[in-house]
Amino acid sequence: MTFLPLEGLRVLETGDLGELAGKLLADAGADVLKIEPLHGARSRYVGPFVDGQPGPDRSLKFAYLNTNKRSAALDIETEAGAAIWTRLLGTADVVIDSSGVRGLSRDNSREKPGQPERVIWCSITPFGLTGPRADWRANDLVSMAHGGIVMMCGYDDHTLPPVRPEGDHSLAIAGEYAVTGVLAALWQREFDGQGQHLDVSVHEAVAGTTEGAFMNWEYLGRNPSRVTGRHAGTAEEWQLLSSDGDYLVLFGAGVPRDRKSYDGLLAWMDEYGAAGDLRDPSYERLIYVPPNQGGELRQEFARKVAEFIATRPTEEVYRRGQSIGMPWAPVRRPEENLADAHWEDRGFWVDGTVNGTDKTVRYPRAAYNFLGTPVTFRRPAPRFGEHTREVLAGDLGIENTEIESLAQQGVVAQD
Amino acid sequence: MKNERQTATSERRGPLEGIRVCDFTWIVAGPQATRIWADLGAEVIKVENESYLDAVRGAPGLHNNFNRNKLGITANLHHPKGREVVERLIACSDIVIENFSSGAFARLGFTYDRLQELREDVIYISLSGYGQTGRDKDYGTWGPTAQGISGLTAMSGLPEHPPAGWGYSYLDHTAGFYAAIAGLMALWHRRRTGEGQHVDMSQVETGMLLTGIQLLDYQVNGTCYSPTGNQSRHPAIAPHSVYPAAGEDRWVALTAESESDWQAICEVLGTQELLDDPRYRTNADRLIHQASLDEAIGAATRCFEAHDLVTTLQARGVAAGVCQTIEDRMERDPQLAARGFYPIAQHTELGEHRFEGFPIQFSRSNWQVRHGGPMVGEHTESVLTELLAFTAEEVADMRSEAAI
Repeated sequence: MTFLPLEGLRVLETGDLGELAGKLLADAGADVLKIEPLHGARSRYVGPFVDGQPGPDRSLKFAYLNTNKRSAALDIETEAGAAIWTRLLGTADVVIDSSGVRGLSRDNSREKPGQPERVIWCSITPFGLTGPRADWRANDLVSMAHGGIVMMCGYDDHTLPPVRPEGDHSLAIAGEYAVTGVLAALWQREFDGQGQHLDVSVHEAVAGTTEGAFMNWEYLGRNPSRVTGRHAGTAEEWQLLSSDGDYLVLFGAGVPRDRKSYDGLLAWMDEYGAAGDLRDPSYERLIYVPPNQGGELRQEFARKVAEFIATRPTEEVYRRGQSIGMPWAPVRRPEENLADAHWEDRGFWVDGTVNGTDKTVRYPRAAYNFLGTPVTFRRPAPRFGEHTREVLAGDLGIENTEIESLAQQGVVAQD
Repeated sequence: MKNERQTATSERRGPLEGIRVCDFTWIVAGPQATRIWADLGAEVIKVENESYLDAVRGAPGLHNNFNRNKLGITANLHHPKGREVVERLIACSDIVIENFSSGAFARLGFTYDRLQELREDVIYISLSGYGQTGRDKDYGTWGPTAQGISGLTAMSGLPEHPPAGWGYSYLDHTAGFYAAIAGLMALWHRRRTGEGQHVDMSQVETGMLLTGIQLLDYQVNGTCYSPTGNQSRHPAIAPHSVYPAAGEDRWVALTAESESDWQAICEVLGTQELLDDPRYRTNADRLIHQASLDEAIGAATRCFEAHDLVTTLQARGVAAGVCQTIEDRMERDPQLAARGFYPIAQHTELGEHRFEGFPIQFSRSNWQVRHGGPMVGEHTESVLTELLAFTAEEVADMRSEAAI
């Protein structure tokens, strides 16, 4: 019998900044129990929705970010609710808490006596729990802007504003870091039996994820400016149109970096009579200079490649380019990858269901392919309150009559 | 106690102390993964070949930031004694990681089977562009091209404009983050079962994972992706964008998540007349008239210094931020400064420099930047004699034979 990597681990999740972190743990086999307020997690009301119709069990964002989790609806502000929360805490290895700017952890349960020593308590907040701006508000746009990613993205034309890449990347980065922190803290607990508190700052997560920007300022005193879809500091356009009218990204503006690609490219262009004076040996030295050097020669070469690419269809540019060792790729919309057989070959898709529709859909398996312990789709995101009874009765052994009474008092809610 | 070493030092240097990593990574994606482990206390030993060094050594600052806390050795894999060095290191490492092109490590003789012979419960992470299997496994990527095919480039751009993409290799970071997670998950699994495994990673797949909502929207609703720029489609709110501030190429992000936010924005900007304008009365109205709304707000914001405006808006409870440059972040961000996000450490040749920190404060065993990135082969001598049990004479011989 194979175990999932995190099988046996128990996680409680509150708030919606840590939903991706919770998903990564749940997809890898942890039992992630989402504790939602009685009106449902905020993310249930964020689209897109199944058939465009809002409803607590119809959000596709919620469906994606909460796969393989269970959910119980519980008002922890009530005395009875707080007691249940404390009992759940006694069963948990990890808490992913983003229940507010201050978080549950600072003002509420963390300070309470009797909190289990073994819990890894991970708070995710926009700016961290300490510091002069701990109470500043943020959403993805604000986090991406203030953390510095927005200023790194946009167009060569600086009359246009910098651009925030869509996809809640601020929370993705923070969530990815949070998972590394949680797993590291669990590792330490194996040796000394002690849990600890992790204070994750979304702002810092973003601020540390802009590649060469830091080096430019710290070592060269340069403030790199945004360019269209390529490394800052390179002059030529990398994003070029094919004859189909699609964009492709040509690494280094399509200028080859080794002999094989160089010969392959010219042979390909020759087939269409397009190599022209690129056969002049003076261009060959471009193979040996970095992408930010080469001056007019590079510009000239890149311009000829761009003109050639504009006469060839997207798939040809992509496949033929790769076959001669050029790391080129089309600019695809996300859904276009669903039809690419390579990902199927790799078992990247796992079939699953979505609440609110009978369709079977393909979910990404995970970002990693564990060959020993394959990660798989076990259950769709929980319906609101779907597991309230199961958790109270099954996990905590609370009698049915008491559960009914808690529901009537407005302490818990069930599906 | 093969798997769970404890070092002799009394103070833990991080939660991952005792984990050893044999690190063949280079450029950015792989080193990002091993940097995370090293920051958290793992012993990461970076292996290079003097004739084929980490390509980012050409940018010493970049290399230093991504390789701090690691040790560096050199070994010539084409010399039997150089191979023996690497094999001894693998035999005493918990994790072996590389980010060469697909199949390249196996062609050097290091298949997963061979790694297992050297260490039965080894965790092996291979991180390539398209993965080790599948019809396109030999295709190559760099950050920007992986972003292109994964969908992330298309998801960045202004409506009616070409894709803007990302101005750097975001997916080098992302691939590194997920490789770091995978290694820790595999360690957890090994702790439970005693079994190691091979984790086959593709940089493009790490990007596709982040497009899951759009994949569901297409499969369930037939929605083809179109860019939103800086606006917010889900939830649909306005204003929610990036606006010009005073000065050259200065910008602020501001958002109205509620009617009280909208009122505060107008009061701070001195555009109270917009509150009475029927086009902007409710969020639904503002969404319909977003173009004129953004124009009116932009005309007002360009009279304000970016940091002043954002500080004033935040004091009114509005989610707003400066589009900060790296200079802003490092020189005038009191939050990052207060949290010690740019610690200083020593590099043997470059001297003292700041480093980018780790975005988590641990209450008991925090991350650290102990020292800068290794010079080429800086720790060859000490690693070979202290860890791998070679004698000083053997090391000297290997040097004279160019095995190391």
